[in-house]
Amino acid sequence: METEQIVKLEGVYKRFPAGKTEFTALNNISLAFGKGEFAGLVGPSGSGKTTLLNIIGSLDSPSEGTADVLGKRINTLSHKEAALLRNMGIGFIFQTYNLLPVYTVYDNVEFALLLQKRGAAERKKAVMEALEWVGLTEKANSKPSALSGGECQRVAIARAMVKRPQLVLADEPSANLDSKNSHHIVQTMKRLNKELGTTFIFSTHDEKVMQYLDRIIQLQDGMVVNQTGL
Amino acid sequence: MEWLSIKLAFRNLMGSGKRTWLNVTVLSIAFVVIVFYNGLLDGWNLQAKRDTKAWETGSGRIDHVLYDQFDPLSLVDAHAPLGDMLKAEIESGRAVAVLAVQASAYPNGRMVNVLLKGIDPAQKTLLLPTAALDSGRVEGDPAIPVIVGDRTAKSAKLKEGDVMIVRWRDVNGTFDAREVRIAGIFKTTVPTVDGGQLWMPLEDLREMTSLYGEATYLVLSDEVIASGDFDSTGVLSGEWRYVDENALMKEIDDIIKTKRASSMIMSMLLLGIALLAIFDTQILSIFRRQKEIGTYIALGMTRLRVIGIFTIEGTVHSILAILLGLIWGMPLLKLIQYVGLPMPAGTDQVGLAIADKIVPAYSAGMIMASVVLVIVTSFIVSYIPARKISKMKPTEALRGKLL
Ligand SMILES: Nc1ncnc2c1ncn2[C@@H]1O[C@H](COP(=O)(O)OP(=O)(O)OP(=O)(O)O)[C@@H](O)[C@H]1O
Ligand SMILES: [Mg+2]
Repeated sequence: METEQIVKLEGVYKRFPAGKTEFTALNNISLAFGKGEFAGLVGPSGSGKTTLLNIIGSLDSPSEGTADVLGKRINTLSHKEAALLRNMGIGFIFQTYNLLPVYTVYDNVEFALLLQKRGAAERKKAVMEALEWVGLTEKANSKPSALSGGECQRVAIARAMVKRPQLVLADEPSANLDSKNSHHIVQTMKRLNKELGTTFIFSTHDEKVMQYLDRIIQLQDGMVVNQTGL
Repeated sequence: MEWLSIKLAFRNLMGSGKRTWLNVTVLSIAFVVIVFYNGLLDGWNLQAKRDTKAWETGSGRIDHVLYDQFDPLSLVDAHAPLGDMLKAEIESGRAVAVLAVQASAYPNGRMVNVLLKGIDPAQKTLLLPTAALDSGRVEGDPAIPVIVGDRTAKSAKLKEGDVMIVRWRDVNGTFDAREVRIAGIFKTTVPTVDGGQLWMPLEDLREMTSLYGEATYLVLSDEVIASGDFDSTGVLSGEWRYVDENALMKEIDDIIKTKRASSMIMSMLLLGIALLAIFDTQILSIFRRQKEIGTYIALGMTRLRVIGIFTIEGTVHSILAILLGLIWGMPLLKLIQYVGLPMPAGTDQVGLAIADKIVPAYSAGMIMASVVLVIVTSFIVSYIPARKISKMKPTEALRGKLL
């Protein structure tokens, strides 16, 4: 596999204070992700999946080791630089959708572009396209409260994808969805992965999601214990 | 992007329901009360000054240098003959001379201290109904006509036509007495031309006291504005001193200032309650919406921007409150202005000209200042809790962990 590496972790540790001692949530993780990968972190609860995604997403930084994402060293980014990196290069999808309840579907998706200061016409075109990808064009003016869980997660996918980021991080995107919707959203993401070449990194313990993954990284107690698909 | 923050803030606030409206309502009440109190005091100030000018001080005064209106003992020496220039001013109607002498009066057998004030019955400078001093003279009756204010008349149980004795010391220090007749009772909002003062024809008082051609002070009519007129001609040298309108109104300004301070306490208390409610709401909403904050940050917003959104959101309370205040407050305040605010009897104890009704004055400047006060204070109480966001870890905010 000789693709461009867009995420490179070397000897990453993450320790959290736990009373008088420290708790090691990530224990010497070295991983790399190439452009266009469709990969997943799996493992039991508490194994460090979210912690790892947070570091890749520049929401947190390693206690030790280095993390390079889209050409930036996460360890040394300022708040502002990290915000810019997320704004331009990384899309997030959360287990609980995290849509803005006071905004319509359209506004929620547009929000990501407003942060990028894009022109109105360009925004409109991109938002409609993103809603098409997830099949929600006719719900553009609905509020999230009027949508099903599956629809909400599709809005979240559109929001993450509308700015066409190089990297999308999805933390247990199907955990709150039924089987049919789980399949649907992962299929949607897989399609976008193929069409746009976006790199997807999941965290999941959902078998239904795993079957679509090209690469599975198994975590346990903050360590990589097994990898398949490489 | 700024527009985005504002739009987001508005939507969030509108979406948060009852609590917002409670805050907005309380704040709008505080806003209207602040405008009302200030308008009331401004209106009172205007009225007091207008009336004091019309009844007592004119457009300024030329005082004998020894005259101190707050010290009756100063009157013994505070008088002098008028020079030619001052006489000319009086003759041309640009000034009116007043001679003031301490005396005792005996209404209904009681003795009261009074101030005799001689003034030209034909004067037009002050609103005092001095014409009654001419028309009230009874043929063949030696009693001198006097006019008094209704407060004085009431406290001495005097009515029109009553005759009483006044006693005073003449220039040689010996007592002399004359009868005076109440030729008129006037009603004024200015207590300082009323309380214990008997106004009589100037020439009668000059004759009684042998202070021929003398005066204690001159009240200037509207036509005389600048003291320069007098200074250049030298009339003010030595015995006379020019006192301008501002100096004469200083007492009113001082009283209004203390009134304003006490009414401010009430306004600020109300404003404080409203601000506390906003502060509280901010803390609660930042606490409750950690996940939203985390989402903003994950989407690439800087913390500063997120703080901005929450600060604007809190500040929008004040904008809504001002709009709401205008909706219900404007008609109400206009109505009060239209009918006037009746003042309870006895308010004239404050020693300040006060009408039965005060018409509040709402100036654009005062309203703008109140608007700015409300917005700025709301901004501050919205910003302080929002600053906490900068200490939040986005990962913990996303998990909705406690602060
Ligand atoms: N801010 C923190 N402070 C202390 N401990 C933390 C913190 N964040 C995570 N941890 C701990 O680190 C470990 C890994 O957490 P993480 O959330 O990454 O697990 P996960 O694999 O995502 O689990 P799940 O499947 O339940 O989401 C857990 O034991 C957790 O308690
Ligand atoms: Mg997790």
